Amino acid sequence: MSVLKITDVSKVFAGNTVAVDKFSLDVADGELVCLLGPSGSGKSTLLRMVGGFERPSGGVITIDGEEITHLSPEKRPTGMVFQSHALWTHMNVFKNLAFGLKLRRLPADEIKRKVEAVLELVGLAGYGNRLTHQLSGGQQQRVALARSLVLEPKILLLDEPFASLDQHLRERLREEVRDIQQRLKITTLFVTHGQDEALSMADRIVVMRDGRTEQIDRPDVVYRDPKTPFVAGFIGTMNLIEGTVSNGVFIRDSLRVPLPIADGPAILAIRPESLDLVAAEPGMARVHRVTDYGTHGLVDLDLPDGERIKSMVSHPDLFKAGQGVDLNPTAIAAFRDKMQVYRSQT
Amino acid sequence: MTALAPSRPRLDATGIGFAIVLTIVIVLPLLVVGTWAFTEVWRYPNVVPQQFGLRFWNQTLGRADVWSALTLSLQLSTVVTLLSAVICLPAAYAFARMSFPGRNILFFSFLAGHAFPKFGLLIAIAAIFLQLNLIGTFWGVVLIQLVGTLMFMIWIPVAAFQGVDRRMEEAARDVGAGPFRVFWSITLPQAAPTIFAAVLLSFVGTFYETEGAWLIGAPGIRTMPVLMISFINNQMVIQYGAVLSVMLWVPSFIALMFARRVIGGGAFARGFGG
Amino acid sequence: MTDTVVTAQRPLLETSERRRPVGLLLVAIPVFLIAWLIIWPIINAIGRTLWRADANGDVGFTIASYVKFFSDQYSVDNLAVTLWTTGMCALFLLVICLPIALYLRFSAGRLPAYVQALAIFPMFVPSIILAYAFIRVLGPNGMADILLNSVGLPKIRTPYLTPWGPVIGLVWDNIPLTILILLSGLGGVSNQSIEAARDVGAKRYQVFWHIILPRITNSILVALSFSILGIFSSFTLPYLLGPASPEMMGPFMQRTFREVNDPIGAITQAVITFGFCIVFGLFYVRSVARNQGK
Repeated sequence: MSVLKITDVSKVFAGNTVAVDKFSLDVADGELVCLLGPSGSGKSTLLRMVGGFERPSGGVITIDGEEITHLSPEKRPTGMVFQSHALWTHMNVFKNLAFGLKLRRLPADEIKRKVEAVLELVGLAGYGNRLTHQLSGGQQQRVALARSLVLEPKILLLDEPFASLDQHLRERLREEVRDIQQRLKITTLFVTHGQDEALSMADRIVVMRDGRTEQIDRPDVVYRDPKTPFVAGFIGTMNLIEGTVSNGVFIRDSLRVPLPIADGPAILAIRPESLDLVAAEPGMARVHRVTDYGTHGLVDLDLPDGERIKSMVSHPDLFKAGQGVDLNPTAIAAFRDKMQVYRSQT
Repeated sequence: MTALAPSRPRLDATGIGFAIVLTIVIVLPLLVVGTWAFTEVWRYPNVVPQQFGLRFWNQTLGRADVWSALTLSLQLSTVVTLLSAVICLPAAYAFARMSFPGRNILFFSFLAGHAFPKFGLLIAIAAIFLQLNLIGTFWGVVLIQLVGTLMFMIWIPVAAFQGVDRRMEEAARDVGAGPFRVFWSITLPQAAPTIFAAVLLSFVGTFYETEGAWLIGAPGIRTMPVLMISFINNQMVIQYGAVLSVMLWVPSFIALMFARRVIGGGAFARGFGG
Repeated sequence: MTDTVVTAQRPLLETSERRRPVGLLLVAIPVFLIAWLIIWPIINAIGRTLWRADANGDVGFTIASYVKFFSDQYSVDNLAVTLWTTGMCALFLLVICLPIALYLRFSAGRLPAYVQALAIFPMFVPSIILAYAFIRVLGPNGMADILLNSVGLPKIRTPYLTPWGPVIGLVWDNIPLTILILLSGLGGVSNQSIEAARDVGAKRYQVFWHIILPRITNSILVALSFSILGIFSSFTLPYLLGPASPEMMGPFMQRTFREVNDPIGAITQAVITFGFCIVFGLFYVRSVARNQGK
């Protein structure tokens, strides 16, 4: 039963670079929260502050109500899995896992039992005597995970743990880690810059940018209902079209879309899968290229002023480069002053 | 398929030329020394010795001055290496992992000794030792040889400590190890092979250090190389020098080969400014 | 809970403020040794040779000891033979090591590995053993004489105890590091840049002159500076292999200090060697520092 509470935490590095700016987040017991953002968004710094490897410039971090803000890492009930796995190469797998337990002065037979149990959990039973360089990349990352889990931390911290693995392995480990996390019901904070990882694993996603929260929501909500143009552009593919609203109609060049908001500039957001095309001459836009992916097709379109937008179609063979089309959005959102001001009901 | 078969290797004339010349110039002299060590009679102009034997090993090893020089040299090298390790390794760790004012200037100050011709520097130091009555004393020689090991024993371990992945140390903090435990259980074992090589190099280097020992130590302190100088100059029996050369060189050669393997040729050259 | 709060005030990993004195403390002894046994002797040597008591006992600025050195024919001869030896060694090292390094850089296999192992080998031979081997091979009735005699040729004029003795010994001794430094420089010349030059029609020597040489000029200078620093004030090899007169600065300083018992004369000679080497010394140190900074 562990709850992580981050309140108004900031981190200012030398030279007054603000890495994290008054960040707040509550992680519920057993929840897996993903910190998602581009590099430099402060997500890793935030995780390292929770782990105790960076000292917050301000704010409070508590675990189960106890303040740990300025506690050194060895005194925190957190377990961290590093991107580079950081296994101790001069110890074999068993010793890597047993090190923390020995520091806690557990009896040898109990250490052995715990290590074997956790190796079993990560699917590496019988690997105790291996040296770390005798393991594959995926196995090394599993050992790193096991090394944290064996100490039964209250909070598990994962810092881009799959970044050094290839695509196929990444997807498999992603599922394994999610399974283990749910089985142990361990409260987890997970840093990634890969939206696939965040969308497939997280209970909630925190989209970060420049040390601040852009949006905190369930993965499906973040995808369907982005609250800022940044989130809209960062998660999935999104056509973001700048234009003006006049009398309830969004206008960009030849494009006209009904948009019931006050007059003024606005950004129209349409997912490619929510943009239907109808052949028309001359039409609102012209087909630039059609790409057939087998299951679906992607049509690149040019507005007369050169703006490029994308549409996902189920029958790509219906369209040819050069032909004119009318655009028919089925779901739209609109942003003004970096905030969502309209979203169509679907 | 024939096109894929390996063509006959082109004769590497340059390489063969270098190999032959270097073999003659580098291996031959050492072979001659080795032969002399096991020779009892070798009169000019015979190409091979008339009589092989171990007589001069017995004679050399029976000499009191050889044993006292060997003991003294081993003592000196041990004391210098230990002292050097004790004062340099913590400093190396500080340079590698801590920040303090003047860090860079102090770090590169260890280069100062290399900006000057070595023997000139030794003379300047000897002039100071003369005022301090350190000439001809054990500790005078220790000090002069200690200075010779400083740069080596700082720079190589600094690289070793810097080479230890910080995430490994953080991971150890994460599982509950305090700073000292992290140093002892993670940082030191990770850096150990390189540090060991540096210690080995400084031991061997000190053992063969001739100039400082001769300039500062004479006449009271007679190390092995200083004894060899007198054997060579006085030419009493040719074989003494040969026996000593073989006896002393083989173990140090093995040690140095090990050190170079750990540190690597590239780093070696880089350390010398390559 | 109260425990936690108290310990929470402890500084963390990267808090440099609190650790500053500790770091300084750890480096204090070696830094002190450098200051006491390198920096101070140099300053002291320069000071003592320039501020000396004159005949009346008044201490003042004087260049008398330097005037004495340069007006003494024997001293000047010694300096000259030192400069000649250093120049010869530098020339031979370049002529010998550059071709070997070029060969090693652009070939692979067992033969080059053997050549490299041999070229590096002298590094593991202490100069005292080298001196002994030199005498046994090139000395009077040495191995060279034996072999020449066995095929009916006359004896060599032995370089032992001539100015050529130290040159041969010092070149032998300095081959490994020169080659290592040159190889490290040649490692920075990419195969592609050479292939590109060959592709546009450059011949072998043109490739060397226009592509390789400009890239390794710095390494050549570093290698030469390092050798020159070592050779200019070398002691063991000139002492054992060179002539008694004129002698190189190393043995000369040693004799002045120990046998003539003239420390001021010896440190004057030392300061003069500093003066002749300062350019190479500073260049070498700058290169090492820059290399280390990377």
